[in-house]
Amino acid sequence: MQAGAEAGFGPGRPRRRGWRRGAALLALALTVGLAACGGASSGGGGQAQGGQPGGQAKPFKVGLVTDVGGINDRGFNQLAYQGLQRAQSELGVQGTVVQSKQQTDYIPNLTGLAQQGYNLVIAVGFLMQDQVQQVAKEYPQTRFAIIDVGIEGIPNLASAVFKYQEAGYLAGAMAGLIEKERALPGIKGTNKIGIVAGMKIPPVDAYIAGFEAGVSKVAPEVQVILRYANSFDDPAAGRELALAEAAQGAEIIQQAAGNTGTGAIEGAKQAGVYAIGVDMDQNYLAPETVIFSALKKVDTVTFDLIKSAKEGRFQGGINVFDLKSGGVGITKPIAGVPGSIVRQVDELRQQIVDGKIVPPQTLPQ
Amino acid sequence: MSLGDFLGVQTWVGTISWGAPIALAALGGTFSERTGVVNIAMEGLMLISAFFSVLGAWALHNAWLGLGVGVVSAMLFALLFAWGAIRFKADQIILGMAINTLAMGLTGYLLNTIFGYGGTPVNTPQLPTVSIPLLASIPWLGPVLFRQNVLIYALFILLVLSHFLLFHTRLGLRMRAVGEHPQAADAAGINVYRIRYLGVLLSGFFSGLAGAYLSIGALNSFNVNMSNGRGYIALAAMIFGGWTPLGAFGASMLFGFASSIAFNLQGLGIPKDLVLMLPYVATIVALAGVVGRTTAPAADGVPYDPSESS
Repeated sequence: MQAGAEAGFGPGRPRRRGWRRGAALLALALTVGLAACGGASSGGGGQAQGGQPGGQAKPFKVGLVTDVGGINDRGFNQLAYQGLQRAQSELGVQGTVVQSKQQTDYIPNLTGLAQQGYNLVIAVGFLMQDQVQQVAKEYPQTRFAIIDVGIEGIPNLASAVFKYQEAGYLAGAMAGLIEKERALPGIKGTNKIGIVAGMKIPPVDAYIAGFEAGVSKVAPEVQVILRYANSFDDPAAGRELALAEAAQGAEIIQQAAGNTGTGAIEGAKQAGVYAIGVDMDQNYLAPETVIFSALKKVDTVTFDLIKSAKEGRFQGGINVFDLKSGGVGITKPIAGVPGSIVRQVDELRQQIVDGKIVPPQTLPQ
Repeated sequence: MSLGDFLGVQTWVGTISWGAPIALAALGGTFSERTGVVNIAMEGLMLISAFFSVLGAWALHNAWLGLGVGVVSAMLFALLFAWGAIRFKADQIILGMAINTLAMGLTGYLLNTIFGYGGTPVNTPQLPTVSIPLLASIPWLGPVLFRQNVLIYALFILLVLSHFLLFHTRLGLRMRAVGEHPQAADAAGINVYRIRYLGVLLSGFFSGLAGAYLSIGALNSFNVNMSNGRGYIALAAMIFGGWTPLGAFGASMLFGFASSIAFNLQGLGIPKDLVLMLPYVATIVALAGVVGRTTAPAADGVPYDPSESS
């Protein structure tokens, strides 16, 4: 049956079929070509900055593979890219960015860079954890690094994890106090705060667990509404979630959803409620709406990783970045937030640094 | 969080704003398929328009001009698709996928080249949300229907026009004839190619509106892959809707409703992964013909070759 179907497929109209396939291939080739241009352009920039060609030393080549959020995600991936750019200008490394369009791109992207002889290949994000382990084992001569997940036991794979629950705790405390004390104009005291989350993965869980603990520490009466979009790259969905949470009474909305979350900030703005940014200072997206942002110093960490690898200090295993080391934190809030709240949050910060408070890393099941 | 909350006004507002881009694309898909061209490229056309709408709105400092730029760009890509599918009789599915892949690569590349890693500018103009006086103050109905983005009003008007065009005009009759039996239509003196080009171009126009709704209607920014499969859902909605404008609209709103409650049900203690599957389960159920079997236009997906007799 199957063989018959196959046989019937081929010989019918060979010339036309050939043309069709040609057309499809041409279109694909064009696309791949464009994607390659996207990667090469940044590499070219790096080369120009990284010293004259023809020098004796071979350039140190760093490849960065983004997850599906892409380098324009106004967060995680963008920060990693900024770290790479800084390394290009300050350390003279030669950098290339490969953006993953879908999850199935991770392995080809990582493998491609390893095959091209890159000295260090950085996988940005938890979503690549299985893929980077597989490729790192296949290319033991290449150094790999992954951000946002801890992996041990592979000598040529370094991983950076953030105690993001510590930043989440401070963000939750700040939001809880603002809501409880009706500290900003327009807050009526519904005692509800919303979270627009991306996917349910450990780094997101850690942040939310910290956030919820922070809220209940300072304002146990405040309820946290948590919703998942199940994506990091659908801003229209983020907007819908924010509008839905605002309609339920949430007066402050924390986004924890990458690019989906930038839509949540827009939704909060449209609904006339406040928002909290994540990963980088996102106040510029909506200056009246975003009270403050949680910070994850992916840029610094990426830069440091490249630096240590270039200087021959690369080490496999887990590196932890926390509040104490400055790897995570929160930005200064907008002007309207009372100093008393800022001081209370600062005290909590000190207690976390001193180890007196240990925010939870996982959500209750 | 109670059951009342989740069936409240916001669920219905969400239904409309989730369903609108799907419905817009599905309306266009109806024209394309009624003339005999399966347009799986709607996903890519949406993405193209989403990007060029932002680019246009930003460069020309006007959201309306941006809308024009976006729609025209989607129509140009639709023309490219039509050229391959009609003139060269390429396999419509493969060609459509090629357009989608091209759209993803091209928009991603242009986003980085033109705007850099910071993404599209935050001050990009946005199409206005308009409250219709008096009607907007009706409880429930007001916020759901009469306090919406202009493109949602456009959707309602275009829905009526599409139905009228397809079923109450000579052109509509010709379109349907070409999709059902192109040889007969040809014999009756209808230019099959021209009608099919028109069908695909209309599809480009509607997909363009859908893409613009996502980028400068609901939001004012473009992100990589922001259409996120809505073009494929639109294709399913159109099939579920029985290849009619009203049916396609109804099916789109059903998907909109499924998405909307999928978000709102999360607070009720039902496992979120289960409820987030709802729109996709609805799609599968619809396509499996559980709700009612529908018949495609007879010549749908078949390139027209005058030298072949049927």
